[in-house]
Amino acid sequence: MRGFERYKVVSAVGALVLFVACGGGSSSSGSGLGSGALLVGVIAPFTGVDAALGPAYYAACLAAAPSINNNGGVGGRQVSCQQFDTRGEPADAVPAANQMIASNSNLMAVVGCTSDEAATVAPIINRAHIPMFCMTGQTEFNKTTLPYFHRLVPADIFDAYAMVGSALYGPGHAPYKRAALVFGNDIGSQAFVAPATNAFTKLGGTIVINQPITLGAASYRTEVAAMLLTKPDVILTEALGSAGTYLKEVKTQNGGQMIPFIGTSATIDPTWFQQVRDAIGVADLTKYYGGVDLGYSFSGPAYTEFQTNLNAAASTFADAPKYKQRGSTLHLYDGIIMTALAMVATNSADPTVYNPKIKDIANGTSGATVVNTYKDGVAAIKAGKSIRFVGAGGENTFDQYNNSQSGYIWVTYDNQGNEVKVGQMTPQQTQDISAAGGI
Amino acid sequence: MNSYYAINLLIYAGVDIIACLALNLQFGVAGIVNFSFIVFQAVGAYTAAVLSMPPDTAPDYSFQIYVGGLQLPFPIPWIGGAIAGGLLAVPVGFVVLRKLRSDYQAIALLVLSVIANTVITNARPFLNGAAGLALVPAPLADLFDPATYGYFYVGLTAVCTALVALVAFRIVNSPYGRTLRAMREHEVAATAIGKNPVALKMTIFIVGGVIAGLSGGILTGYITFWAPSVWLYPETIILFAAVIVGGRGNNLGAVLGALLVPVGFEEVTRFIPSSIGPPGLIPALQWVAIGLLIIGFLWFRPEGVRPEPRRVFEGAPD
Amino acid sequence: MSLFVAAFGFGLVSMSVIAIAAVGFTMQFGITNMINLAYGEVMISSAYVAYYLNKAGISIWIGMVVGALFGAAFSFLLNRIVYAPFQRKGTSYLGMVIVSLAISLMMANLLLPIVGYYSVSYQEGTGGLIRLGAIILTTNQILIIGIAVVVMLLIHGLLKYTRLGKAMRATSANPTLARNCGIPTQRVVDAVWLITGALCGLAGVVAALNSDSFAIANGAAFLITILAAAVLGGAGQPYGAMIGAVLIGLITELSAAAWSPEYKEVVAFGVLVLVMVLRPQGLLAKRGAMAAAG
Repeated sequence: MRGFERYKVVSAVGALVLFVACGGGSSSSGSGLGSGALLVGVIAPFTGVDAALGPAYYAACLAAAPSINNNGGVGGRQVSCQQFDTRGEPADAVPAANQMIASNSNLMAVVGCTSDEAATVAPIINRAHIPMFCMTGQTEFNKTTLPYFHRLVPADIFDAYAMVGSALYGPGHAPYKRAALVFGNDIGSQAFVAPATNAFTKLGGTIVINQPITLGAASYRTEVAAMLLTKPDVILTEALGSAGTYLKEVKTQNGGQMIPFIGTSATIDPTWFQQVRDAIGVADLTKYYGGVDLGYSFSGPAYTEFQTNLNAAASTFADAPKYKQRGSTLHLYDGIIMTALAMVATNSADPTVYNPKIKDIANGTSGATVVNTYKDGVAAIKAGKSIRFVGAGGENTFDQYNNSQSGYIWVTYDNQGNEVKVGQMTPQQTQDISAAGGI
Repeated sequence: MNSYYAINLLIYAGVDIIACLALNLQFGVAGIVNFSFIVFQAVGAYTAAVLSMPPDTAPDYSFQIYVGGLQLPFPIPWIGGAIAGGLLAVPVGFVVLRKLRSDYQAIALLVLSVIANTVITNARPFLNGAAGLALVPAPLADLFDPATYGYFYVGLTAVCTALVALVAFRIVNSPYGRTLRAMREHEVAATAIGKNPVALKMTIFIVGGVIAGLSGGILTGYITFWAPSVWLYPETIILFAAVIVGGRGNNLGAVLGALLVPVGFEEVTRFIPSSIGPPGLIPALQWVAIGLLIIGFLWFRPEGVRPEPRRVFEGAPD
Repeated sequence: MSLFVAAFGFGLVSMSVIAIAAVGFTMQFGITNMINLAYGEVMISSAYVAYYLNKAGISIWIGMVVGALFGAAFSFLLNRIVYAPFQRKGTSYLGMVIVSLAISLMMANLLLPIVGYYSVSYQEGTGGLIRLGAIILTTNQILIIGIAVVVMLLIHGLLKYTRLGKAMRATSANPTLARNCGIPTQRVVDAVWLITGALCGLAGVVAALNSDSFAIANGAAFLITILAAAVLGGAGQPYGAMIGAVLIGLITELSAAAWSPEYKEVVAFGVLVLVMVLRPQGLLAKRGAMAAAG
């Protein structure tokens, strides 16, 4: 056969194979990024009791899309965002996930899936071979076997250790000896109690009362009275939605004097700040509150681009700029960009091909070039380099279960609700607490 | 990929049909306004779950604390769930089946369902509290490969639905059913000819409970999960809406209602395009649409899509 | 021991809040036969109306009056536009319950995009702490108790001494007979919705003030407590609702002191179930409570 004719046959056969391989949509390994719009699905509660969660994750997508689209898209394909309401309930979340997958053959990634519904939704998304970035600290996922599951927020037990660290070693006060645990009785909050109790008591403190409260109750007067009788030095708490009610009652019954309180990383949230500020006043909030959070720098090229896009998103979603320091928003932003980079690096729109690459881009292989934006990442890939993406949320290191966590810091709020770092655990302290708490 | 959504809808339709048939037996036939209905489904689901799960000391399950964990093979967990639903009906029936206005019954039972939900949420070592039971084994999952398992489950649900429909139709058209309808129409007359209303109502109530428990087992086997957030009190009212919209007192009405309200209204509204507007707006409007649909149906068809047929007997004396 | 005394004091506040709401709810039920599941949402809407006024600098006590007016107007319109037409159409009794649930779903979700999912608080100083022995109450809380007492007295006066009140009691006992005796049932019904709507609105603002921090989701939680208090006292009985509120309010706080606070509502509702078993018609029952539902 002449070369030209052989070429024609080969390309015809190749086209036939491609045509037969999958009915439309994805192409096989490395054979291009396809065409048409790409979709990031935000699957989370947007109505119901946890309606505050969905918008925070949607904001992440609204910020990530321009970072990608303004820099050539994914091989020219533009990324858009869509919300899928799970209604805060795991049985309703199942059809939400299935409908999302069935109606959209161009899903590149899924973000959201909170503790309310991750248990039912993660297996569905995994079966559909779509990379997901879930916001659940549940212990169930500490050793997950779902390859498409990625978690960029730490398991709740690490939050608990950081809180204990703040109580014992935090700046500006002598180590607290008597702690009250006030956590809600919902899914997301109860995982803190056991690790916090173990760690705190083994290191010399006393848990004077463990008081699970029913979230959304009309008042907590008797609970607060009972708690005050035990005379704690500090309150460790996460009671999302009811924090304002409880803390205001503490202040009132204690004669206008607030007790120091330490919150989980979920309390670093504009909603929580506003609620508690309205309840006890900004002066007491900034003076008596200690929080824990992952060590975000809130600066650097990645963060700057994130913030610019987040502010620009205010035209569709007025509250978007408020999430500029919300950990989950930062992480999901990074996750979406890493997915896009994985697609470019493998030159494939097939999730079975690009999903494993996400971990490489997050952890970085040896000799990888560090990049902070999508634009830089694409340029490095084009130059043949392997990359490590360090984004708005900082470095990520996925373990074998696709869980990633970076170090914790101690924080508080300033008067405007911005996070302010006040200290950090030393590696020795971290080790002592983890050993005491037991992982 | 598309078939998973279809499978999902079919299974949910089956579960809701079974639940509505059970509710129709309790409410439409026996006349008990069981506003705690969802607890019966929950009891069945929890029982089926703890009967089929391995003990909580097993390696993959150690993040949960729960009773049971007997790891029994299918179909025992589902049978257990159905029995549990029936057992629950006994004390609840005793509380309710006194000569009580139906609205008092209704509210008391509603409050009971809130109590049950709160207790399970707070008694953490019992059924793992608010986090619920995860990784519930799917029945006979190892016999099928993942691609075909969904179809098997649809078939299984269909068989159960058919069985339940058979039982429900037999009851309604049996002497039992006629007696109960007579009691509903004119209780004093029925008692006068020697029928024991309380015993009959109790029996139907228990049968309804058994069927409700089965629906719970089927649902939890599919979503492999069960938690208090799945059975809050509005779920009962949605099912009542289904029975009323479909047409109370008759099985076909219950089936239609199940297809319309929990499956139809709740799922169709997902297709309202959600990229418009700020996050949360369209999802909230989806709920508004569901409310409007229910109200619309009740306005245009207050007797239900398929009203109960009035049975007229030939040859009545002039 | 002092915890119990303190809890008793808190119980006084709780019962006051519940009483205002429960009396309104039970009157709606007793006179118009309507289990209005949207009651909680109307309460929350009124609370938000007062919140926006409060943000604009208006005192919360005026906000309460405005909230009551809003509740009255909204409930009146709700009945005229939705409930009454359905009732005239012959919708079954249970169908009306479903309609009210649908309305509550719609209200909660129409409110969500408008007010947002954030919890909010009223900007009102709690006032000084007053200690009477082991009882600790703020001046605001004492004012709330006072408001509840005044409202109860007003309702008592309305029912016992005014013609409207007598007409309401007659309509509640037997609407057909009442109409035949020349009582303008339609006007009575309108008055009921206005008055109970005002109670609902007032209760919403009071409950929100009592909670220190509220969001839309609180509406459904209020509703269950109100239902429990109303049924405990005998559905349709305003004085029963007052007693039910007292019991539920006190038992909730005392059991939070005695046992684990997570179960405080369970205990209160458990008492309700006990009463239903022992005295199915509620504590105070009108004659005819045993009859089949209308």
